Amino acid sequence: MINPSEFLTFLRAKGFSFATGVPCSYFSRMIDKFEMHQESITYIPATREDEAVGIASGVTFGGARAFVIMQNSGYATIGDALTSLAQLYRLPMLLIISWRGLEPDRDFPEHSLMGKVTEATLSSYQVPYWELEIEDWQRTIEVALTKMEETSRPVALLVKQGVL
Amino acid sequence: MYGYEIIQELATLLSGEEIIVSSNGNISRQVYNYCKQPQIYLRGSMGLPISVGLGVALARPEKQILTILGDGNLLMGLGSLSTISYVRPSNLKILIIDNGVYATTGHQATTSGTLNYTALLDGFGLPNIVPIQRNDAVESIKEKIQLWLDAPELNILPALVDAKPPTLSNIPLHPEEIAMLQKHSKT
Repeated sequence: MINPSEFLTFLRAKGFSFATGVPCSYFSRMIDKFEMHQESITYIPATREDEAVGIASGVTFGGARAFVIMQNSGYATIGDALTSLAQLYRLPMLLIISWRGLEPDRDFPEHSLMGKVTEATLSSYQVPYWELEIEDWQRTIEVALTKMEETSRPVALLVKQGVL
Repeated sequence: MYGYEIIQELATLLSGEEIIVSSNGNISRQVYNYCKQPQIYLRGSMGLPISVGLGVALARPEKQILTILGDGNLLMGLGSLSTISYVRPSNLKILIIDNGVYATTGHQATTSGTLNYTALLDGFGLPNIVPIQRNDAVESIKEKIQLWLDAPELNILPALVDAKPPTLSNIPLHPEEIAMLQKHSKT
């Protein structure tokens, strides 16, 4: 697994001073570490994922950078926040999305269909995405952030169970 | 009083240093026409003005952030009241202009008529001012707006108004320009 403290330190070094979102059990180790990093990264718990995209958009309007954590079930709720706000106003942000509904989730049918269509919906909404893997995770994030800055738009990382 | 008149009164009381986040539809058009430019004029993202205001308030702690939204927008993003109460940025002020209808889309009724704003905002733990009423005298309305602007902490001002939006042309700025103008205003 990626060391969550190293992960947060890496994102802080890349300019992210704010984080927001709605938790996923896949991210529980990282969320536990927010407290330790609270002086460098301010985490704002949102009530919904589209609200989190709104908060991150405000942070970006204000000239800072935010990343947003959510399940892919939550990604299914942010279509308008992306298309009529973050993408329309060209507000760069990093979406960190847990990829539920794959094989380890066979006991959770509520995630099954979303797991199947996650990549297709990211493509439909024109959100560039990368799968975050333990190997070379820093490189993957750097590639994603380069795209984020080049396009000045949101980009996403998909995270399977056991990675973070 | 009509909603647009509240924004006109507000405009006379601003220092010009504030950042306004205005909700999609008529309110953004009115803010564009009656207040100093540029501001953050939202065009879509119904339900998210308070969230955007929160983000700006956190990123720009040296500025007063005024978020102006209608009842339809408030109801769509009610959870954001809990979030701002939890985070409590002292530089965030919210003005709710409640005309009871979705005026931008043709005056269809919202469900806000049953709301008791004082009880609602108290319940969320949010500092608030007694709502402006439709028949309040102009002086009393100005006093409430001034009280809201001068509040030393997070504060919400509800205003119950009649619906009669003036016909205003679309905001001529592309959203990308709106974002760029904010970027430039910082430097």
